[in-house]
Amino acid sequence: MVEFTTEGLEALSKAIAIVGTGFASAWAEKVIGAAAIGAMVENESLFGKALVLTVLPETIVIFGLVVAILI
Amino acid sequence: MSYPKRMTKCLVAGHKKHLEAAVDSLHEAELLHVEDFVDGDNPDFEIGMPMQYGEEVSRKLVKIRSISNILNVKPTNGTVKLPESDVSKELDAKLEQMDSEIDRNTQEMSRLDTRVKDIEAAQKELLPFLAHDLDLKYFGGYDNIAVFSGTVSSFNESRLLEITDAYQLFTDSGSKFFVLFVSKKHEKGVQTFLADSGYRETRAPNKSGNPSDIYAALDVEKSEIHAQIEALIAERSTLNEKYGNFILAGDEFLSILSEKAELPLRIATSEHTFVIEGWVPTSNYDGFVAALSEKTGNGVYITTLEVDMHDNKEIAKIPVEYENSKFASPMEAVVDLYSRPKYNEIDPSSLIAISFPLVYGMILGDIGYALVLMTLAFLVMKFIKSDSVKKLMYVLIYCQISALFFGIIYGEFMGFPLAGYVYYGEYFPGLIPGLETIVYDYALFYGEPFTFPIHRSHLIMTFLAVTATFGFLHLNIGYIVGFFDVKGQHGLMHAVLEKLSWIVIEIGVIAAIIAWYLGLGTVGIAVGAVIAVIGVGMLTKGEGIKGPIELPGLLGNILSYTRIIAVGLSSIYIASTVNDIAFGGLIWTPADGFSVLMFVSILVFVLGHSLNTVLSIIAPGLHALRLQYVEFFGKFYASGGKAYKPFGHLKKYIMEE
Repeated sequence: MVEFTTEGLEALSKAIAIVGTGFASAWAEKVIGAAAIGAMVENESLFGKALVLTVLPETIVIFGLVVAILI
Repeated sequence: MSYPKRMTKCLVAGHKKHLEAAVDSLHEAELLHVEDFVDGDNPDFEIGMPMQYGEEVSRKLVKIRSISNILNVKPTNGTVKLPESDVSKELDAKLEQMDSEIDRNTQEMSRLDTRVKDIEAAQKELLPFLAHDLDLKYFGGYDNIAVFSGTVSSFNESRLLEITDAYQLFTDSGSKFFVLFVSKKHEKGVQTFLADSGYRETRAPNKSGNPSDIYAALDVEKSEIHAQIEALIAERSTLNEKYGNFILAGDEFLSILSEKAELPLRIATSEHTFVIEGWVPTSNYDGFVAALSEKTGNGVYITTLEVDMHDNKEIAKIPVEYENSKFASPMEAVVDLYSRPKYNEIDPSSLIAISFPLVYGMILGDIGYALVLMTLAFLVMKFIKSDSVKKLMYVLIYCQISALFFGIIYGEFMGFPLAGYVYYGEYFPGLIPGLETIVYDYALFYGEPFTFPIHRSHLIMTFLAVTATFGFLHLNIGYIVGFFDVKGQHGLMHAVLEKLSWIVIEIGVIAAIIAWYLGLGTVGIAVGAVIAVIGVGMLTKGEGIKGPIELPGLLGNILSYTRIIAVGLSSIYIASTVNDIAFGGLIWTPADGFSVLMFVSILVFVLGHSLNTVLSIIAPGLHALRLQYVEFFGKFYASGGKAYKPFGHLKKYIMEE
């Protein structure tokens, strides 16, 4: 019989918050990053804009972290 | 806060006989950003023809660049600056001389290359025949014997015996290569048998002698040729040393001539006159006019042109040159990485010269890493002279000064706490014996009293609040800058509606929260709410429906600043994990005394911290940059200006007299 403790559930919730948002960030950055590299091959001066677009989804995992800390 | 350098639009016109003198002095002045003339803009003018000497210059330029390519001339070959007159005088003779010396070398080289390829092809052909090493003369020239050589997928000798027993077979189990001699009588039958077995013919080379002897002879020839090629390469490097410096100077001399020769292609000309339009920094305008008039003997007419500062198309044409203090100018590289400011907007270099290192320092905040990276930056500056690298190193140094400052506040050295502290009753010693953390009697959150030095990992909630507040302030600086930008471009009304409205909304929300917190009741909250609604109304009027849609984004932007603590913590945890693995008892602890394992521990320590140092440049740098680019710039910065590129040439390898 599995017993659920408050601490255990808390830890699990934190893990889910981090894993879910981390995965979401990674997935989004993967898609954008590939497109950004493609654009930069065409025009190198797009580096700044490409960087901005690629790091946009990073915020998702920061939200996850904030939520995990607040739990 | 400053605007880009002010530019004056000017027009240089004159008789065509003065064109060459005008182009020469424009090139020397290196101030005029030429605006290209577009054919059809004005029916009385057309694009000019390149100068007559242009064709010859291009021809020589192609030649000198091909020589430079063959000799592998690098910028490092430019050891001394050569006088311009010498380069001009000697160019033709030297080109001739270099050409003849290199021509012989390249021809010989290509002959040898071809021979090596031939040899390699011949050796490849011989390869299968090496196994049996039968003299190649036996593979042909018979009246009554047929020869088959090649590979089959599987050789069934019993089926061959059914056809004939008059044969001689050589097989090689490894490569499935075989040679078969049969009587001509049975040639047809054997052919059918082989075709069924998946036969692929490999013809013997038309030579005589043992394959292994031929192969070895070819090997000898190949190594002789390689020696000759080496000699030719050595000759090239001698030539490189002899001519490298001159080639660079000659290339530059010819490039300058070519630029001058081609300028007429960018300007308007009529039958007898030429007109050049362009931009000169306003502060240099008087000097520019004086220099040009003097050099051309007053042969050209120069005047300023009016610019309509309400016409966005016209503004977009104005080239943008930064004008910053010495302190902020390294940041131009960071702004350029994003995009240059427009002519009529505030250049954010001086703003991020403060906020970028500040955020970086808050994230990294480690005395050890700051010192390592600062030393690295100084070393790079000492050994690499490139201007763009220097600028980036200055940025790195600013960041490290800030990281050092926060390192002292956080009391961290390479991930170790400097001062000892008590956490939940347990005592953790610091790196400096006797230095203890001072605990103050004040806390923002329960269980997180302020301390000095501040231990980040024990003040997480406090830091979340502090970093979010920092973000809130930073973003509002963005709105205020945006307010002045819009005010300058479209007037006060637009500025209030588009930018001030955000601040009104914030005030409303904060008022409501304070009223709720202080228990002022519904009236207090309602006052705040009304202010916020007024703000939203203003925003909708200013930005349209897209304004309110962006509202929740503001919260996201503020929370995004909590990465300052998040990334900082990750760096601490990596560092302290490395310390735990190295000296925490997994491998070795100082209590174990001297042993071989101590060196393993030290190796882990050095490798782990090297990794963290590299991450410490990349992670805080990228995250600090991102907060400037995405969150901060997003509030005011339009960007997209055109870089100011004056007509002229920085002389690197030739010297003016």
